[in-house]
Amino acid sequence: MSAFFAALLSVTFAGIFIRSTVPLLLTALGGLYSERSGVVNIALEGLIIFGALAGAIITKTLDGPLGAAAPWVGWLGGMVVGGFIAWIHAVLSIKYRADQVISGTAINLLATGVPPVVLTALYDSSTESPAVDHPLPLWGIGDLKFSPPVYFALIAVAVTWYVMYRTPYGLRLRASGEHPGAASSMGVNVRAMRYSAVILSGVLAGTAGVFLSIGNLEAYVRNISAGAGFIALAALIFGQWKPLGVLAATLLFGFLQALSIQLGGGNLLPSSLVQALPYLITVLALIFTGRSRAPRAVGKPLD
Amino acid sequence: MSDPVRPSPLAARLSLIFIVLALVGLFLFPYGTLSRNFNAQSLLQRFPGGLTNFVGSPFENLPNVSAALLTGWGTLLLLALSLFAALRRARWLWIAGLLTLLLGAAAIVVFNSALSASVAELIAKGVRARRIPWTSGGMHLGLFLPLLAGGVSLFAGLSMWPSWWERLNRLRGLLVPLSAIALAVAVGALVVLIVQPVPSGLNRALSVGELLTGKLDVVWYVYTTLFAPVTNLNGLFDSLKLATPLIFAGLGVAFGFRAGLFNIGGPGQLTAGGIGAMLVGVYAPLPPALLLPATVLAAAVGGAIWGAIPGLLKARFGSSEVINTIMLNYIASAIFIFLIGNSTFPLLGKTYTLPFKAPGFEAKSLDFQPGARLASIADLISFNRGEAAYFSLGPVLALLVFGALYFGLRRIKARLWIALTAAAIVGFVTWKTVGIPVVGSFSASRLNTSFLIALVCAVLMGVLLWRTSAGYALRAVGLSPAAAEYGGISVGKNVILAMTLSGALIGLGATHYTMGGALDEFRLKANMPVNVGFDGIAVALMGQSTPGGVVAAAILFGTVDTGGVNVDRVLDKVNKDIVTVLKALIVLFIAAGGFLSRRITDPPPPQLVKAVDAAGSDDSAHLTPGQAAREAKTPVPNVGRSSEVISQDMLGGDVVAEENTDKIQLDKERES
Repeated sequence: MSAFFAALLSVTFAGIFIRSTVPLLLTALGGLYSERSGVVNIALEGLIIFGALAGAIITKTLDGPLGAAAPWVGWLGGMVVGGFIAWIHAVLSIKYRADQVISGTAINLLATGVPPVVLTALYDSSTESPAVDHPLPLWGIGDLKFSPPVYFALIAVAVTWYVMYRTPYGLRLRASGEHPGAASSMGVNVRAMRYSAVILSGVLAGTAGVFLSIGNLEAYVRNISAGAGFIALAALIFGQWKPLGVLAATLLFGFLQALSIQLGGGNLLPSSLVQALPYLITVLALIFTGRSRAPRAVGKPLD
Repeated sequence: MSDPVRPSPLAARLSLIFIVLALVGLFLFPYGTLSRNFNAQSLLQRFPGGLTNFVGSPFENLPNVSAALLTGWGTLLLLALSLFAALRRARWLWIAGLLTLLLGAAAIVVFNSALSASVAELIAKGVRARRIPWTSGGMHLGLFLPLLAGGVSLFAGLSMWPSWWERLNRLRGLLVPLSAIALAVAVGALVVLIVQPVPSGLNRALSVGELLTGKLDVVWYVYTTLFAPVTNLNGLFDSLKLATPLIFAGLGVAFGFRAGLFNIGGPGQLTAGGIGAMLVGVYAPLPPALLLPATVLAAAVGGAIWGAIPGLLKARFGSSEVINTIMLNYIASAIFIFLIGNSTFPLLGKTYTLPFKAPGFEAKSLDFQPGARLASIADLISFNRGEAAYFSLGPVLALLVFGALYFGLRRIKARLWIALTAAAIVGFVTWKTVGIPVVGSFSASRLNTSFLIALVCAVLMGVLLWRTSAGYALRAVGLSPAAAEYGGISVGKNVILAMTLSGALIGLGATHYTMGGALDEFRLKANMPVNVGFDGIAVALMGQSTPGGVVAAAILFGTVDTGGVNVDRVLDKVNKDIVTVLKALIVLFIAAGGFLSRRITDPPPPQLVKAVDAAGSDDSAHLTPGQAAREAKTPVPNVGRSSEVISQDMLGGDVVAEENTDKIQLDKERES
């Protein structure tokens, strides 16, 4: 047992820990923008998948002509595609006043259907894309080497905190989510705020997807997100819709995920049950917080 | 409205669009398919004449389709006539439409009979049926579009009379799903156009004209194949098999929608139902007569528990059922893997054993007891006499007798019971005696009696929601929790009840996979497609959260799922998941109200229009969005509404003022 705890302090475990945390963190930050602006975004899971798929395909396509620059364009492509899909969610929720949960569910359904169709059309395989020659580079020292989205995620937390609490944009964004009527009467363009926030959430979730496909692996594989979007949603709630809270929650959930990987070969706890812990914790957290801290106008279209 | 004796401009415009499409299509699109081989390469008949051959090799003994082409000229004339009528908004538009419809149908019949005449001729010559190319032929866009245009013009023309307008108006609820399907089909066609090259056996590049025709042909082929399974017995049985779990899932989600709750916990509840069924079906030492119902019940209870948890949490703590059901999906999946993934598990250094997993590599439970298995429907409705197998007509006859008596004896009060008794007697007598010989075999189908359980559930749900006071309370909570609370209905209790029953319905879907042996074994298997729980959302939305609608939508989806496998097998670049994309698009477009204007889907009630008219306003038809929204009977559920009241209750905040219109709407429903 002591060997197990020693393993938890190893550099390898730290690597697994950080790699499990980053996609959650990026996605949850994306969800933060969207929900603080008043748009429920359960499409995060789908957005990750679209980002991962786009990143892998674009990088694979540009591998030849661009070489080492290809993954960077792939990353950009993943962000753009994530943003575009999020824009669809935004149009439905804001312009057509659709039920935001239904619209998000539709995007998630789309994300289970589109990858096999696209992959079959391009590569004659319904489950995975061919490995790219140039994945994102690894930066770091010693055994702790990570692809750039990891560092991007850390910067994104700080930037998000600053934007939310220290800029007019953040103030207006929060106002749109708390009391859109009041914000609107003060001259804030609530619709524009919500559009921008939802698209931003797509860009961040898309980055998470890009990290999974060409930052962590070298290709898109089926079920690549493995529910990361929903865990991120849970982290968003557990973190009380605050950037630092989200950071703490994703660190906890990332740790639990890494733990269940570490436990896979061990004999301490059944790893399948440890995997369920983030979800259980979220359910418990919801009991204590309820809807109290959620942005007040979340889920409600503006009249 | 000002001119009641002519078709409205909108109706005329609608029929105009379809007529122009048919006219253009007659010349641009293929007229009929003469032959299609296993790689979907086709020999197409064009109008007014000529062939397009993608197969490569030349054909002999072409069928004589000159009569069908001649009928086509007649259709063309009638289409022109309809076009004139639509442009003039003539009163006789419906006659022109009817004639187009009839002649269009006649053209299809003539075309098909030309094909079958040719087939018969070749068979007479001694050619084997499998080698005759014409058996795979049939209508194409050029024959189909006039039919559609005729139908649309007929009803557009008829709508000028108030009685017909009333009749059509009752179908208004179908507008959003239909337009969502149409849009999804259009986007899906675009996807097929992009990804699938023309299947061609020609060893040369295709000309632009051929490319266009071929692309359209591929799209037509994909969609006809998707919907084809209903046209033969085997396909129908497969479709119903895939539809069964969708019915359960759709009913469950719809039940939640009716109470204003969004249950995305389908996968979890299905898993929990499966675990419940396994615990009883494999292990319970019960006599067979009790075992079967007990196992079905256990599946329901498993799902019910998994649904009740989020319901309870919502009622007690106000936490969102959307998030909780998602989380519970993963928790259920973890428990599921824990139970049947391994026969041992480690805990704090020691290893314990679990009795659930069957030996072997695959994660699955032990076999269900023979008494806990559901019968195959193919066995139930067929019987053998000597060597030959017969398809029993008993159920059909019983249904006919029931219909005839129920609708024939309108005067008699006890007609329901008379009809039921008579139907039961007829069914009992004819079940094993009257039948038609089975062509081919359909007994291999895994369609089982869980399909009947699903139908019974649909009926029960309808009765509960619309014929009992408990159902009234549930719907009241769904329409407006604040008004319901004011009317003395406990929102919390009903939220728990709704989530429990919703979960139970979805959990029952597990009977199909475990007791029904839909996965080829009577076990709980790890490859149980739990995502059916998500598809249930699409089904419930398509079915407008009504039991009948859900059953219809589930059968439609089951059909398309079956057809998708066939498309996947034939075309190399089209994956069967194109069906998933179509479903997702349907949900997307329904969420957006089919992109139809609110004025079309939820027109203001006539009284309101009259009142505004009387006030002298000239833009009576233009309601403000706010007004329209309040008057609307939204087909899309008001999910998440009940959380308002609960959370406000819990937190002592101000209740968001619900408009009284919700309550009035309820009262109106009670009167009708």
